[in-house]
Amino acid sequence: MTSFPPRRWAALALLGVATLLPLVVRDAFVLDSLILILMWGALSAAWNVAGGYAGQVSLGHAAFFGIGAYSTALMTARFQQSPWLGLLLGVVLSIVAGGVIGYLSNRLRGPYFALSTIAFSQVLLILASRWRGFTAGSEGIPVPFRRGFWTLGLSHVAWVYVALGVALIYYGVEAWLESSRLGYQLAGVREDEDAAEALGIASRRLKIHAVTLSAAMTSVGGTLWAQYVGFVDPFYVFSIDLSIRFALNTIIGGMGTALGPFLGSILITSLETYLRATFSGLKTGFAGTYLVIYGTALILVVRFAPEGLTGLADRLGAWRARADA
Amino acid sequence: MLTLEGVTKRFGGLTAVRAVSLDVRRGDLLGIIGPNGAGKTTLFNVIAGYYRADGGRVVFEGRDVGGRPPHAICRLGLTRTFQLVKPFGNLSVADNVMIGALTRLGSVRAARLEAERVVETCGLAPHAGARARALPIGLRKRLEVARALATRPRLLLLDEVMAGLTPSELAGIVELIRRLHADGLTLIVIEHIMAAMMRLAERIVVLHHGEAIAEGTPGEVARDRRVIDAYLGEEFVLAQA
Repeated sequence: MTSFPPRRWAALALLGVATLLPLVVRDAFVLDSLILILMWGALSAAWNVAGGYAGQVSLGHAAFFGIGAYSTALMTARFQQSPWLGLLLGVVLSIVAGGVIGYLSNRLRGPYFALSTIAFSQVLLILASRWRGFTAGSEGIPVPFRRGFWTLGLSHVAWVYVALGVALIYYGVEAWLESSRLGYQLAGVREDEDAAEALGIASRRLKIHAVTLSAAMTSVGGTLWAQYVGFVDPFYVFSIDLSIRFALNTIIGGMGTALGPFLGSILITSLETYLRATFSGLKTGFAGTYLVIYGTALILVVRFAPEGLTGLADRLGAWRARADA
Repeated sequence: MLTLEGVTKRFGGLTAVRAVSLDVRRGDLLGIIGPNGAGKTTLFNVIAGYYRADGGRVVFEGRDVGGRPPHAICRLGLTRTFQLVKPFGNLSVADNVMIGALTRLGSVRAARLEAERVVETCGLAPHAGARARALPIGLRKRLEVARALATRPRLLLLDEVMAGLTPSELAGIVELIRRLHADGLTLIVIEHIMAAMMRLAERIVVLHHGEAIAEGTPGEVARDRRVIDAYLGEEFVLAQA
């Protein structure tokens, strides 16, 4: 579990590219793609804290994303308050919701936990889409755009750096997890809960901590996404598709690694963005294209790199080292 | 140090452990033997907090530990190993042991040093970097012991750490247990291999159908009529003679 130095170099290289790109490229399409890659990467990293490091595989993380998105949308559109207040509210609500889900993960293991998280996100979807008086129901809420940092009305270039900042913090959290006491204990819980308990690890409490942290991180991502896109639609922000996106980016990139979720996001998001641009004229016919991409990518990963792209890189590295020797 | 008072554990209509009482004093090396299904592992599960007893009390160093979760019992100084080994398969041997050491130590650096020492003691040093799941069963049994030791127990429960080993692996682990005992550790050892147990334990409790049918020195137990009938058989007695 000690991190492989080449991974840190790769992360540094990616950071460099993301930092410099907005300085040379002003094309809105490229910048939009970069922002989405960073946002989905950060959100997958948030999922990774629970799913990858603690082994609590959730398929309902859209719940926390939606909580963050709705918190800011309602705070700004309905109450004319700062989106930062919405961000804070989303984090608080997600911590509460994460505590509930984390508690469930103590009762239910494996697929039953994943199913209960789906149910949880669906309950929130129904709530948001039916409570018309408060949430505007299925019509969704436009998030007002007010220029300035404190109102999160930013240019594309500024959004790149906001998303990059969040991505960097999330990467840092996971790099810390990999070498900290908490991270090792979580790894023990993930690998074998009974054994972890026998060794004095309070596995239940630790799982709740991990899921709660992951929920809060996801909520922040949801808030920023809503501010960036400018519209919150219940059927999107609480969708299972979104939950699957967080999970698959991480699985494809490498679960339980700091870099994995970002690699997965680079691969999947750029493919998706490319295909969407290419087939935009045939939108109706290709509405489900991204599912085909997910499916194909997942099959390829499971077949050729079951430990994700980072695992594949490690194996290639070991193979080259052997070839050199 | 550890006192069981009439501990009973039922699963539906089956009474897996029936009114077992025993007393372990500091420095003891107590053996628990019995045929398959006698309730040995169930008894460990009750002591270590995995099952809640349906009757009786488990008192460790003056505290009733009934109802406490396993991790709390480990923190009190009572650690168990698993008969069906449960290594953290994707982690290295060193990391496995270090996770045990982190229970007493706040810093990863200190825990790593402690783990190195324990790995050395248990003869796992050549395999420290190997993934736990890649180890053969003999070494995985050793890893169970090493990981438990890293939590610095005062009482260690070993659940069939000798089962399925080759004669040389067996000799190695017997030697390790002797050394730990000589260093002052109190142990309860569940074992199937009677011959090894006879040489190792100072005192043996025999479980049969969940009941403690005999207790005494290995010699006394081996001559006990009920033990011979229930478990050892005449041939064992003749072979020992």
